[in-house]
Amino acid sequence: MKMKKTDIGVVLFMYLVCGFFYYHMTKLKASSQTYPRFTIVLLFGLTTLYLVQMIIAAKKYGVESGVDEVFKDFKPAQFFVCLIASILYLVCIYFFGFYISTVLFMAVVLLYLKVPPLFSAITILVIVGLIYFAFQRFLGVKLPVGTVLKAMGK
Amino acid sequence: MLETLSLMGAGFLNALTPLNLLMMAAGVAMGIVIGCMPGLSAAMGVALMLPMTFTMKPETGLIVLGAIYCGAIFGGSISAILIHTPGTPASAATAIEGYQMTLRGHAGKALFTACYASFWGGLLSCISLYFFSPLLAKLTLKFMSAEYFWLSIFGLTIIAGVSAKSIVKGLMSGALGLLISTIGLDPITGVKRFMPSSYFAEGINTTCALIGLFSMSQVFILAEKEIKKRAQATRFSDKMSLSREERKTLRPTILRSWIIGNLIGILPGAGASIACFLGYNTSRQFSKHKEMFGKGSIEGVAGSEAANNAVTGGSLIPTLTLGIPGESVTAVLMGGLVIQGLTPGPELFGKYAPMTYTFFAGFVLVQFFMLGIGLIGCRGFAQISRLSDAILIPCVTVLCFVGSYAIHKNIMDIVVMLSFGVLGYLMRKLDLNTAAVVLALILGPIGEKGLRNALRTSRGSISVLFSSPVCWVLIALCLFGILSPLFMNKLEKKAEEEAEEVANPEELDNLTEEDSV
Repeated sequence: MKMKKTDIGVVLFMYLVCGFFYYHMTKLKASSQTYPRFTIVLLFGLTTLYLVQMIIAAKKYGVESGVDEVFKDFKPAQFFVCLIASILYLVCIYFFGFYISTVLFMAVVLLYLKVPPLFSAITILVIVGLIYFAFQRFLGVKLPVGTVLKAMGK
Repeated sequence: MLETLSLMGAGFLNALTPLNLLMMAAGVAMGIVIGCMPGLSAAMGVALMLPMTFTMKPETGLIVLGAIYCGAIFGGSISAILIHTPGTPASAATAIEGYQMTLRGHAGKALFTACYASFWGGLLSCISLYFFSPLLAKLTLKFMSAEYFWLSIFGLTIIAGVSAKSIVKGLMSGALGLLISTIGLDPITGVKRFMPSSYFAEGINTTCALIGLFSMSQVFILAEKEIKKRAQATRFSDKMSLSREERKTLRPTILRSWIIGNLIGILPGAGASIACFLGYNTSRQFSKHKEMFGKGSIEGVAGSEAANNAVTGGSLIPTLTLGIPGESVTAVLMGGLVIQGLTPGPELFGKYAPMTYTFFAGFVLVQFFMLGIGLIGCRGFAQISRLSDAILIPCVTVLCFVGSYAIHKNIMDIVVMLSFGVLGYLMRKLDLNTAAVVLALILGPIGEKGLRNALRTSRGSISVLFSSPVCWVLIALCLFGILSPLFMNKLEKKAEEEAEEVANPEELDNLTEEDSV
C-alpha cells in the first residue's frame, strides 16, 4: 500500500499532542507525572512506529496524495454551512435560549438543504414537540432560556 | 443455583413493571427507526439516547439502551430487503437474498423471515448471557491492581483493531484517548492536570465525548456529501408469514447462526457485520436448496439475521463481566453503565445482582417486543427508511445538542460535544478509530488507578506488573488483541467474497423492477 500524504498530517497532529501534554506535564509534581508520562510515551512510540511504516511504504510502493480519497464527493459549501450553522446555533442558544435557536437553526438548514417548506415546518414541529415532551416534561430537563430573554424577563 | 434461579425470577418480575415495558417498546421502536435509516448506526443511536437514561433507574436505563441496540440491528434488515440498502453493516448479507425476494414479489415473506430469525437469534443469545456472565465475572475476583491495569490495556488493544484499516492507527487512537482521559484532577493526589478551566476538574465528560464522536461526527459525514434521493421502498402486498413447513426448514439454520453469532459476539474484536456473512455462508453450505441462493432464499435471510442478532447477547458478556466491549455499540453501552456509577465485573453479579438480572430479563422481553413491533410496523418503518439526509442533518444535530446539555445543564457540555464531533469527523476521514478513543476515556481511569496502586504497593518497582500468572495471561491476550484484527479481516473478507459469488450479477440484472410487486 502506498504512503498517503494525508497521514503526514496525522503524524504531525499526534506529535503536537504529545508535545503539548509533555510541556504541561513537566509542570506537575513528580508523583503526578507517572501516568501521563506513560500515556505520552505510548502515543509517541506508536506514532513513531507509524512514521517508520509510512517511510517503508513510501520507499516500497511510492507516495500518493490521499486527499482525493479522503475528500471524495466532498461538497465544501454544504459542509461548511452546516458546520458554521451548528456553531452559530450554540451561540444563539446562549443568547436566545433553546427553543428560538432551534427553530431558527432548523429552518435555515432545512431550507438551505432544499427541503420543501411544508416538510420543513412539519419537521420543526415534530422535533420541538419531541424535545418538549421527552426532555422537558418527561425527564424534567430545564432547557436554557438565554441571557437576552432572561434580562428581558427581569 | 437456587439463588441464581430466584434472582432470575425476581429479575423478570422487576422487568415486567409498566414503565419498563413502555420503555422496552419505545426503545425497540426507536432502535428500528435508527437501524432502518441508512447512514445512522446502532452505536450512534445508543449514544444519542444515552442522556435520556440518566434520570431513569439504572436497570430501566440499561433496558432502553439494550432495546435500541437490538432494534437497530434488526431495523437494518428492513431497508436491506425493501430498498437494497442495508441500514447498518450488520444487515449487508441480508440485502443479498432479501432484495431478491422483494424483486420476486415476496417482500412480506422476507421481512417476516428477518423478524422471526432476529427474534430467535436474540432470544437464544440470552441463554449464554445468563449462563456465562456470572462464571466469567467470578474470574475477575482474582484480579488485583496490576491485573486491572493489564485488563484495561487488553480492552484497548481489542477495540483498537476493530474497524481501523491500520492496527497501529487503531492503537494510536486508543493512546490518544488515554492521554485525553488524564485531563482533570489527579485521582490520587488531587493535583490539577492539563485543565484550562475548573469545568474540567472531573475530566472530560464521557457522554459528551460519546455523542460527539459517534453522533455529531456522523452529521458532518452526512453534510459533506451530496443529498441524494433514496430509492422508493417497494410496496408489498404478499402476506407477512411463513408456512409451517418453511418454519421447520429454518430451524437448523437459526440454530447454527445462533451459535456462530454468539461466539462472534463473545469474541472481543468481532461484530455483527462479520457474523451476518458467516451466518449467511453457513446457511448456504448446509442448505438442501442451494440453487435458491442468489435468487431469494429464506434460509439466506434467516442465516444472516439470526447470526447478527445472536451477537447482541454474546457481546454483552465480555462487556458486563470484564469491561471489554468487543465493538462500538457495546463500548457506548458500557459508557452508559459506567455513567450510572456501575463497574463491570463481579460487583454486577453480587452487590448489584438484582439490577443485572432485571436487565437480563428486560433483554429477553425486548426480543418479544422486537418481534411484535417489527411485524406490525414493517410497512411504516419502510417509509421512514427513505427519510432524506437533508432532514436527518438538522434533527440529529438538535438531538446531539439537547442530549449533551441535559447531562449537567451546562452549555460547556455542548462545546465539548461539538469539539469531539469535529475531532471524530477528522478521525473518521483519516481512518483513525473513534471507538478506541471512547473506550480509552472509559478504561483510562481504571487503568491509571490499577497502575498507580500497583506501583505504590511495590514501591515503584515495575516488576509488580509481571508478578502473577493472571498478568501473563492478560499480556498474552493483549498480544492476541493486537494480532486478532489480521485474522478477523481475513475471515470477513473471505465471507464477503463467498457471499458475493452467490449474488451472481447476471441473475441480478435479469430481474428487473418490473418483476417486483
